[in-house]
Amino acid sequence: MGSLLQVRNLTIRYQVDGAEPHHAVNDVSFDLVSGEVVGLMGESGCGKSSTALALLGLFAKQRAEVAGSIVLCGQELLGMKEAELQKIRGSKISLVFQEPGIALSPMMRAGDQVAEVIHAHRQWSWKRCRAEAETILARVGLGSAARVFSAYPHQLSGGQQQRVVLAQALCCEPSLLVADEPTASLDARSQAGFLALLRGIRSEFGISILLISHSPELQASVADRLLVMKNGRIIEEGSFEGLYENPLHEYTRMMLRRPYGVKNESRVEADAVLQGNSFDE
Amino acid sequence: MKRRYKLWATFAVLAGFHAAILFAGFLAPYSFSAQDRDAPYAPPSRIHFFDSHGTFHARPFVYGMKDDPENYGTYRVDFQQIYPLRFFVTGAPYKIAGLLASRTHCFGTAPGHVFLMGTDGYGRDQFSRLLYGGQISLAAGWIAAAFSILFGAIIGGLAGFYGGWLDDILMRGGELFLALPWLYFLFAVRAALPLQVAQWQVFLLLVVVIGLIGWARPARLIRGIVMSAKERNFVTAARAFGASDAYLLRRHVLPQAYGVMLTQMTLLVPQYILAEVTLTFLGLGVGEPMPSWGSLLASLQQYYVLASYWWMFLPTVLLIPVFLTYYAAADALQERVKSVAL
Repeated sequence: MGSLLQVRNLTIRYQVDGAEPHHAVNDVSFDLVSGEVVGLMGESGCGKSSTALALLGLFAKQRAEVAGSIVLCGQELLGMKEAELQKIRGSKISLVFQEPGIALSPMMRAGDQVAEVIHAHRQWSWKRCRAEAETILARVGLGSAARVFSAYPHQLSGGQQQRVVLAQALCCEPSLLVADEPTASLDARSQAGFLALLRGIRSEFGISILLISHSPELQASVADRLLVMKNGRIIEEGSFEGLYENPLHEYTRMMLRRPYGVKNESRVEADAVLQGNSFDE
Repeated sequence: MKRRYKLWATFAVLAGFHAAILFAGFLAPYSFSAQDRDAPYAPPSRIHFFDSHGTFHARPFVYGMKDDPENYGTYRVDFQQIYPLRFFVTGAPYKIAGLLASRTHCFGTAPGHVFLMGTDGYGRDQFSRLLYGGQISLAAGWIAAAFSILFGAIIGGLAGFYGGWLDDILMRGGELFLALPWLYFLFAVRAALPLQVAQWQVFLLLVVVIGLIGWARPARLIRGIVMSAKERNFVTAARAFGASDAYLLRRHVLPQAYGVMLTQMTLLVPQYILAEVTLTFLGLGVGEPMPSWGSLLASLQQYYVLASYWWMFLPTVLLIPVFLTYYAAADALQERVKSVAL
């Protein structure tokens, strides 16, 4: 398996009128191999989400200065033309936002929001896009797809909304999924369901995932490898077990053991719970 | 609950006004061009149930009129002539919306005349002309308002979405249009057109121009909404899934301004009806004999009409409830839009 994503010396500076520019991300480099799930951990404000936005080229030029290099499937994304980026976003790299409730338009039906992503990337008729959207919704576990398809987001539960967002992200079979705190706004039960789904998707789609989350439980159960970020820098890298046993920094220890005092067996335990629990809907 | 009631109530009243205007042919007893040369400037007919002897008539009636021998040009009630009102009478042929041909009128008198709002200098029934005139005036209001909103949405949308220098240029341009003395601008537009162009074509063009130069106010409002709407998470999410700017603006950003557009539209329609009235009053409207609300009032330019025939003011009085309902509808809409603000 070859390298899918290479990030080199990524630096993001926010431009603030009349104030010192703020370095959100400072000289960050990492690689992601196809099929791999990499976890990105760190406290709030450490630059995780900025990294995610930069990967999709979502920074307006006047707001933030992005330097370095981001190579996806051999293509340099930084400095790429907007029209080219539009073709890549959603079809090669997708983003799942943390709040599904506000990541979906309140004015469009859930199914149409999935179909519009397909429509943007494939030269298909709208009817065919909708049919495809329905298939995808079923694949992310929204079994009673017909009801969900024609529902407005506010008529869906948080877990269902997050699945719709995931369907949007997966419908054009991207090679990299960036999930920014995908379970932060879900309750414990929906979180467990979503986790199981994420792992199922990984094996089914063979997709690489950059999982941004400060939750050690989530990272322990999904990520192959962890990157620990602090103040815009990656300070440590390794497997969950490795970092858990021998963290180089006190910060890493705090991230991994906080806030519930996760024990070493937690991964096994969590798995047992998840597999025994067939999630809702 | 009460607010919802207000919205539907105002909409129902507006629908009633519009239906009355659309079915002018049926509701009006006469054609807008029918002249009664014996009755110029006749006062409104009074509808009676009791005759001069105090006898009750189940069917309402109007008295005939005769010339006042003492005062030239005025009339006296002729108590000898009694014309009962009849309903669904056959009269002058008309077409509803240019399609449905009929001769049946809602009411009328078989011999004699009934002038609910008096007649003008040619003896034409003002009530019929008011109903027919609404067709021109309301159409003008709606067409102009639609152009304003369309233009305002495009320009305000672009300015708010892209910001920066484009925003600066467009909004400074908007201020220019706000400062424009539109009436004199329209005179200039008319002056620039050749004289032999048909008058209704000129009128239609002027209406469109009124709408186009009125884009600035809705554009400012829409720009403000777009500026906050484009920061919404789902807009960024759509961008992250590969949506183009045009698509984002059309499907995710501008729909958030639909409520404001509708409210603005309801505010602009009466404003542009008034603009049409002004234009026609000054002689730039559709030509005779086709009436509009402005041409009904045009005879008030003559002092003797102004001083002697009070019923010639009636069209203005009847404009008030129409305008008030529009403003009430805009108000109710605004409350509604606020309450469902996302």
